[in-house]
Amino acid sequence: MTTFERLAALLHTEFDIAPEKLLPEATLEGLDIDSLRMLEILFAVEEEFAIAMPGDHGELKARIKTLGDLATYVESLVAPGAAAAP
Amino acid sequence: MKRVAVTGLGVVAPLATGAAAFFDALVAGRSGVRVLGHLAHGATAAPIGAMAEFDAGAHFTPARLRMLDRVSQMALVAAAEALAQAGPALEGAKDTACVCVGTGMGGAQATDDGYRILYAENSERIPPYSVLMAMNNAAAAWIGIDHGLGGANLTFSTACSSSAVAIGEAFRRVARGECEVAIAGGAEAPLTVGTLKAWGAMRTLAPADPRDPAASCKPFARDRAGLVLGEGAAMVVLEPLDRARARGARVIAELAGYGLCTDASHITRPSVDGQSRAIALALADAGLDPAQVGYINAHGTATEANDAVETAAIRRVWGAAADRVPVSSTKSMHGHLLGAAGALELVAGLLALERGVLPPTMHLDTPDPACDLDYVALKARAAPGLEAILSSSFAFGGTNAVLAARRLD
Repeated sequence: MTTFERLAALLHTEFDIAPEKLLPEATLEGLDIDSLRMLEILFAVEEEFAIAMPGDHGELKARIKTLGDLATYVESLVAPGAAAAP
Repeated sequence: MKRVAVTGLGVVAPLATGAAAFFDALVAGRSGVRVLGHLAHGATAAPIGAMAEFDAGAHFTPARLRMLDRVSQMALVAAAEALAQAGPALEGAKDTACVCVGTGMGGAQATDDGYRILYAENSERIPPYSVLMAMNNAAAAWIGIDHGLGGANLTFSTACSSSAVAIGEAFRRVARGECEVAIAGGAEAPLTVGTLKAWGAMRTLAPADPRDPAASCKPFARDRAGLVLGEGAAMVVLEPLDRARARGARVIAELAGYGLCTDASHITRPSVDGQSRAIALALADAGLDPAQVGYINAHGTATEANDAVETAAIRRVWGAAADRVPVSSTKSMHGHLLGAAGALELVAGLLALERGVLPPTMHLDTPDPACDLDYVALKARAAPGLEAILSSSFAFGGTNAVLAARRLD
């Protein structure tokens, strides 16, 4: 299962987002994910992938606009050499 | 002032979800009190309590559950049942429809969870929705949002009389013509480790009955040893009687009176004067003679202080006729729902009126000599001519609220 597939499964089962909407190019805004919901999602993603994201959510917000962005960012944290990630 | 009808009831409670099933369980004398092994903490024995028969996952998606404390979950389910029973009560009335909810503690589990994460786990990963889950007005707000109710949305917090006050204040608004429909009631979810420990520290909780934990709450009994906490929600739909009749609604009863007063004396100690004044105010408001009242659902907490004081308050209002008015404490079966108690017990009283059956006071084998009324002990009783009922709620802080309802034929 790819990182994106795991992410999509999590968003479907835990956050009730319809599978057909879970596309890499789908924007958070388009999925009606507001800032509080995004925080909940980040908590769940951290648990699912056993990673820790930086506390600066302003930066995350600027960096993550789509589900594809989120998957890429998660991969950068789980991959060897993740220390290079911000 | 308009006369006010009750046209819908909703219940999530120990013993049952659903008002009719809940009342059936009361009439059968079943108890929802048990040992809560999952809430054991520290060296003391596991607490007892009355958990609601409620599977949140059957009503809400995981995403919604992340935003709703248990108190709001139960409130929403009870409100949905009451509104469904009331039929198209909201038609043309949503813009002014009023929501009045009583709760003593709001989202106690969210608060407990947040502190556990912070202090016990030494983590700062407080769930982002914590504030929105814990705030006292969350339950009322969600009811308003889910059903699109644009009138006053109010939360009342007067400890154990919160939901009696909420229903009384909604009753006033409907009677004054401020809204065509009100949904009113209460919700409480106090079965958390922290809340049970805090109540335990007051030495007001009953220990588990060694023979039968389900029989631990013994209102009016010589061996009563304190209250047992319970959780749940109960809601009623109120609307003007003429409107309810015009639209052909099932009118369960007339909510006829509301008595409200304050002891203004002691933060916990109940007062014969305060309780009897609230009862007298409710009777006067309803235009009822005491002799017309065929049932009182008592506050009846099973604490040493309350039950004797409440007995004396009833004696003060009824005089010698007090021997002839049946009184029961259904808390013996569903426990003390704190801010939701008044609403749940009013529902029990309304269904007693509608069905002509009085739910019993269970676990009352030997009455306290200071408690010498007819408590409908141990067994439900048929009351075919039942004309009017009272439901009493008396709170820490001293706010006494009594609701009166009359049968309509």
